[in-house]
Amino acid sequence: MALLRRPLLLLLLIVTHQFLQFRIAFGSVNEEGQKQEEFYEELLLKPLPDRKLLTHFHFQSSAPPSTSNGRHHHLFPKAISQLVLKFQVKEMELSFTQGRWNYESWGGFDPIPSSNAKPPGVELWAVFDAPQHLIDALWKNLTHTLSGLFCASINFLESSTAYSAPEWSFPPASGKLRYGTLPREAVCTENLTPWLKLLPCRDKAGISMLLDRPSIYRGFYHSQRLHLTSTGSGSEGMDPGIILEQTLTVVLQPDSQRASLAHASEKHIQPSWSLSSIFGKQISGRCVLAETSSVYFLLDKGLVAELEHIHKENEKSEENVLISEKFWNNPSFELSAKPDRIFIEESSLLSKNASVLYKFEIEKYGESEPFDLGLFWKTPVVWLCQQAPLHANRFLMGSGNERGAIAISLKSTQSSEGFMGSNSNDERCELRVDVFQVVPWYVKVYFHSLQVFVDQQPKAVSDIIEKIHVSPSKDKVSPGVMELVLTLPCSVSSAVLTIEFDKGFLHIDEYPPDANQGFDIPSAIVSFPNFHARMVFLENDSLNKSPLLSKFQEKSPVMSYTEVLLVPLTTPDFSMPYNVITITCTVFALYFGSLLNALRRRVAEEERFLKDKAAKKMDRIPLLLSKLSAKLRGRHLEGPQAPPASSSFINSKSVLKVILIAGLAVYWQYYFS
Amino acid sequence: MAEISEAPDSDSSKLFGSDSKAPQRPDSEPEFDPKLMRKTKPGLKRLFLTFSVLFSFLLGFPFLWKSVEIYRSPLPFREIDSLSTQLRSDTLLFPLHFHALFVGFDSDPDRLRWSILSEITKLTSQNPKCSDNYTLSVTVDLGSRCLRGRTSSPHSSSYQCGSVTGGDFVQNDDVAVDERLASVFGGKNNEYSMAVVKGVSERAVVGKYRHAWMVVGDGSDVEMAVVKVAEVLIKVFINGGREEGLIRNEFMPVGADGKIVLSFNLLNADPHDWVYDWDFEKIDDTLLTPMIEALGPVANISVESQVLYHTPKASFSYWNQKLESYVFSTKDLPFFVNSNEWHLDTSIAAGGRSKILQFAVYVPSAKECPLLLQLPNGEISKTNGFISPMWGGVIVWNPQGCLRDSEFKPSAKNIIPIQQDLENMFEVFIGQFRQLFGFKSLNVYTGASGDWNLLPSERGFTEWELDVLSRQHTCFNLHSCATTLGSLSRLVQSLPRMIIKDEIGKQVKLSLEAAKLALSNASSGVYESSAASSSQARSLAEDAFFHPSIMSVSYYSFEHCFAVYSPFFLPVSMHVVLAALRELRRYKQEKAKYLAWKAKANTAT
Repeated sequence: MALLRRPLLLLLLIVTHQFLQFRIAFGSVNEEGQKQEEFYEELLLKPLPDRKLLTHFHFQSSAPPSTSNGRHHHLFPKAISQLVLKFQVKEMELSFTQGRWNYESWGGFDPIPSSNAKPPGVELWAVFDAPQHLIDALWKNLTHTLSGLFCASINFLESSTAYSAPEWSFPPASGKLRYGTLPREAVCTENLTPWLKLLPCRDKAGISMLLDRPSIYRGFYHSQRLHLTSTGSGSEGMDPGIILEQTLTVVLQPDSQRASLAHASEKHIQPSWSLSSIFGKQISGRCVLAETSSVYFLLDKGLVAELEHIHKENEKSEENVLISEKFWNNPSFELSAKPDRIFIEESSLLSKNASVLYKFEIEKYGESEPFDLGLFWKTPVVWLCQQAPLHANRFLMGSGNERGAIAISLKSTQSSEGFMGSNSNDERCELRVDVFQVVPWYVKVYFHSLQVFVDQQPKAVSDIIEKIHVSPSKDKVSPGVMELVLTLPCSVSSAVLTIEFDKGFLHIDEYPPDANQGFDIPSAIVSFPNFHARMVFLENDSLNKSPLLSKFQEKSPVMSYTEVLLVPLTTPDFSMPYNVITITCTVFALYFGSLLNALRRRVAEEERFLKDKAAKKMDRIPLLLSKLSAKLRGRHLEGPQAPPASSSFINSKSVLKVILIAGLAVYWQYYFS
Repeated sequence: MAEISEAPDSDSSKLFGSDSKAPQRPDSEPEFDPKLMRKTKPGLKRLFLTFSVLFSFLLGFPFLWKSVEIYRSPLPFREIDSLSTQLRSDTLLFPLHFHALFVGFDSDPDRLRWSILSEITKLTSQNPKCSDNYTLSVTVDLGSRCLRGRTSSPHSSSYQCGSVTGGDFVQNDDVAVDERLASVFGGKNNEYSMAVVKGVSERAVVGKYRHAWMVVGDGSDVEMAVVKVAEVLIKVFINGGREEGLIRNEFMPVGADGKIVLSFNLLNADPHDWVYDWDFEKIDDTLLTPMIEALGPVANISVESQVLYHTPKASFSYWNQKLESYVFSTKDLPFFVNSNEWHLDTSIAAGGRSKILQFAVYVPSAKECPLLLQLPNGEISKTNGFISPMWGGVIVWNPQGCLRDSEFKPSAKNIIPIQQDLENMFEVFIGQFRQLFGFKSLNVYTGASGDWNLLPSERGFTEWELDVLSRQHTCFNLHSCATTLGSLSRLVQSLPRMIIKDEIGKQVKLSLEAAKLALSNASSGVYESSAASSSQARSLAEDAFFHPSIMSVSYYSFEHCFAVYSPFFLPVSMHVVLAALRELRRYKQEKAKYLAWKAKANTAT
């Protein structure tokens, strides 16, 4: 809690009090000393080990506390401000994601994956600043408003089976937090356009011009996020200030065909890229409304170490090439533009390696000279991104449509050994892991069946689980929520949690369209509260404060999401109820009919009648035969006259009947048309 | 099926009967033929059984029908019809009282009254929806004493003789005269006064309150004054001085819940050239708040503003060398508003059915500045703006000196100067707002008999204009309520298997009650409360009509019901009916046999 409060305090400091000290520094402070609305735009590029490129757009708008928030705005989107006021939102995060963050190769320890890697589909959580009894109603209205605002089916989070109220896994909110996910929501341009509308320049100018729809939706991972914090009113009668942070994280594969042609021999070389080759567009000037507009190029710790190693081998000089004068044309790679500033990460106590960040300011570039950063790799480099201490996976066990089990497996990653080592100086080295899992009510989890395996050995639950909070699901009312705090020994190499469940039956109305596809269990959240994703860059001037870098400096716990699970449930034949009705009704009708017939039957009379008939006439079949033979002989039969007459009568009767039925049919048709 | 199996039997028996009866009839002796006669009475057991089954089915049918019936809250259809017929038959009359005061004239008040009334009837146009029920009293003030008409109402008697003299009108300050008259006439809610004074400087002025005055020359005719008096009473005080056919009177830009959101947008066409900002909060306090308070009884108005960037207009303008500016002609105006790029969001703060009026200030980019709007007659628009009924208004604002020197490069962020530009702009906006309500933005009314000077109010709307608005608002609301309820009742009656919740029934009932209250208030002349209850009636009617349960598709169709019940009832009813028919026929047949035997036995004995 204290860890989380600190960045908030920092933000508050920046927002409310900084204008007193840096009054001259901030250009946007007007004569009355009142802060105005601000907008920042930033883009971070980072090469990833598996020949891909991470692009992270970060836009931040802020509205200071004022009396007219929600009514009069200059830069800040009016819709968001009205939303915050109407639903008394204290903090909210909404993300639209497609694809899954590859924690193994794209890293899981940096601030970017731990706060921007999101589960597929829609994830929404919100903290309300309202009395407890109003929160559910506010959440429902908020979901409806957001679904209108972002053209998405967020309104499905309205039903109480779709959201939950976690206790520990999110910022402490004393029960005022609601969390919901829609794993199956498809994300596309119709969600991006309203998101862009919240930016003052939309995609008409500035960094957002790069957002070429075909290129960004072709990526491997695409996550569009909106985070807003209301900073609390400065004084009585003032509406709270709001900070709106919009990020778009895209993992793209640079088109490496040119590079591979040029260096056909070099298979392991990283693909060279430029902004125009990956987005098909260049940045022609900044958004004039932005306070700062900059592009960052980040070299990972591992990559920096690798590059230095290569350099030392070649040149044998002690000089650090990456920050020297000629850094942008060093033996390993070449940048097409000269950065304006270089930041080196404040290295932590254990590793001498530090990430390097190059900053490019867009102010200098314009229509005539567009900004197009390019990177040209000269030598093949292989490196690894920093991993979270444990790699989390989740899978289903069991078969059939009746029961199964969910398993969450945590595997130790190689790179985290360093952290473990640093902690293992203590006698009892423990690794704390928080797990948050929501299961829909139709997956009936038996919490007593929770089993823990550490290094393939079953362990007593009470040894490993320090704290557990369970709220069992109620049928058709609320989902089941499980929050666990695990303490694992540092030397753990794998840990598995399993829990069994029964598959429930849904009412016929509750099945979604295409029910045979299966049902999603939302991602579990695995977080490591003792590890903080934090990057502090040495800055020697506070003037060009960048929201992105200050975001990096915030101490946030390392978090990762597991896969979404697909549970096949028994799906009924949806015409079954009608079939049941038909068959039971037919049986009843048969029974009833025969009962009625039995009641009005005159057995004695029928027998007498039959006897009479037998006495009078010979059998029907010989009669017919004799008639046939008579016909064949061309002679009239002397015998009884009745049969031909009656047969003709039957004919006319049947014609009558046909007419009657046709008439009925015509009437029926007429009545129903 | 009965016929199929039964037919041969019965027919053959008939056949045999007809053959065999003929030879047997002459026989006097009671010869028993078991085919045609029977000695015992036919039994009723089976007949009774089948018929009791049939009747129990028939009796059970209403219960079944009741059980599959869907819930429909009873709606007062008859009352809805009576409300709409009541409104259609022109009984919504607003009582008004006119008071004409002639100072310095020496004529008979009754004769004056009669001539004014005859002029009024000439001018009165039949408003098809709402009409007014007016009374007129005339006073002739001779200074020391007054001549009052015989039919004077209690309203006019409150006037004290000699309190208005010709001397009051000597000064040229119309505002002072207006205040003076206001203190004399007092301004009751539905009483309009008209003073005609002999004087030197001829003038005709309509004040801010509920009166007008006219100074006529010494030698002028009384008849001329009478015509003008009648015109101002009808055309200005009743019709609000608006021209026919400009904006249809029925259109009131007020949302169904009685709310208006004024959304002001400052559109910077291209922020690369210049970015303008405004100090909206100040203007809101000084100019808009008084107007919003004045319009309180008619609508609940809230104000929002935002600044948008990169918002080019949708159509092109051309360069006019003579005017040294870019000109946008009126015929292209429908293409001015660029709905793709101008994301004038609907407000989240406003409720679902509030009316949002968009007012946009368009700051042109450098390559189309200065931009002027050209009227169809070739002149340049003075306000450089236009309105779109029920949508809002647009003003083009050219930054100062955007063309004069090409070196003009304003700094990154500018503020539109409050003193000249922003205040002018908002005065134009208020004019546009008045136009959206159907009033004129000019303060001169040109009637058939001459011009009238209309004193503008600092609140945007004068009292008599507000009266006109609230009358019109009441009328509009009541008609719209009646049409909505009428549509609802037609809809409900046309879909017999639609579920109607109790809530809807309650809303309809409340809406009807509010409408009745508004009607009675209107006829007794309480404008404000009638406007309030009429808007309540309308919003309740709309609530009922747009109730989510009406929209839902889960209504229980007849086909569904038939599909569920027919597999049982179709075969069973077939059995029951056939059994009953067969038994009935058999009984008749047997009875005939018995009777035949009995007849034979009788004849034999």
